[in-house]
Amino acid sequence: MDFIDYYKLLELDKSASKEDIKKAYRRLARKYHPDLNPSDKEAQARFQQINEANEVLSDPEKRKKYDEYGKDWQHADQFEEARKQQAASGGYAGGFGGGGQSRSYSGNFDEDTFSDFFEQMFGGRARAGGSQRGAHFKGQDFNAELQLRLSQVYKDEKHTITVNGKNIRLSIPAGVENGQTIKIKGHGGPGVQGGPKGDLYITFNILNDTAFRREKENLYATEEISLSTAVLGGEIQVNTFNGKVKLKVKPGTQNDTKVKLKGKGFPKYKKENQFGDLYITYKVKIPEHLSEKQKELFQELKKTGI
Amino acid sequence: MRKEDLIPAEEICVRYKVGRQFVSSLYESGIIEIITIEETEYVHCDHLANFEKMMRLHHDLEINLEGLEAINHLLQQIKQLQKDNRRLKNRLGLYE
Repeated sequence: MDFIDYYKLLELDKSASKEDIKKAYRRLARKYHPDLNPSDKEAQARFQQINEANEVLSDPEKRKKYDEYGKDWQHADQFEEARKQQAASGGYAGGFGGGGQSRSYSGNFDEDTFSDFFEQMFGGRARAGGSQRGAHFKGQDFNAELQLRLSQVYKDEKHTITVNGKNIRLSIPAGVENGQTIKIKGHGGPGVQGGPKGDLYITFNILNDTAFRREKENLYATEEISLSTAVLGGEIQVNTFNGKVKLKVKPGTQNDTKVKLKGKGFPKYKKENQFGDLYITYKVKIPEHLSEKQKELFQELKKTGI
Repeated sequence: MRKEDLIPAEEICVRYKVGRQFVSSLYESGIIEIITIEETEYVHCDHLANFEKMMRLHHDLEINLEGLEAINHLLQQIKQLQKDNRRLKNRLGLYE
């Protein structure tokens, strides 16, 4: 466990006045407040450090103890002993849980985040009485990312995820999109002062493990067809998401012709038995290695003006 | 809109221990929406998270209502830009 330089954290020197501490804290809190830096874990961590520094430096007793024993925190017990003796003799009526000047943040982050150093120095979660305004706050919202394959979200998917050591069983509706976020109510952090629990937000990161391109509920694929099929028409087999289907190619089909297979796309999110469409783009394959016989036949065709 | 999704403004004031004026000011600034049904004012539960955020910023950082309005606007813009960015990345992924 390392010593934490609270003065450095607040960009102050040791002679800083109460007013300087307050100003520095306000300035940095405005910069790193979690509500102003959504999804920025670095800012949140920094904010917690600043909060902890303020908790100590804005409380005269804590600051005294920190200044005296900060770097030598292992001997802080001696200070405690002296404090107890003082208290017993009636000379000291403070205590570290007594309030001080600090205003504790009780917003959208985990309260249990003070450092081990703080714990060791000041004992437990000795926060200065919590929020001075006594508001009931909703707990921290948790954000998680879940990686799935496209083939997995073609059907409803059951999944168990672990968030903060707790297993949560999820039912993921078919058709969920890449980057989509769903909210699971009441699975976030505990509320502050009796407030409701936070929510859990899960963002899906869907990797395409198929040959299809997906745009919302529609799928796109390319299918190679022979020159003769393109010219004369014919029947081909194409892959859809749930098996192969036969498709008739019209005579005279041009390269890049698109055909729509209605209802053969991806399931529509939260719409049972409704599917998007599958668009097939034909790529006419021009033969490269012709036999002598084939060349002759093409020459014949050429003479006819094709 | 389902009635069970609406929270009476009065209840919010009691639960969060804030004055009615604060809720009204947030409404006047366009930060939250207030729906009036039969002379009772309600806040939709979807707006509660934003209300809490504004309350924290107001109390914790002593930001006044004009500041909250500006912050709210900028946060919305960030959110939209992040959404656009994600959408564009997804589209780009289609052609990679």
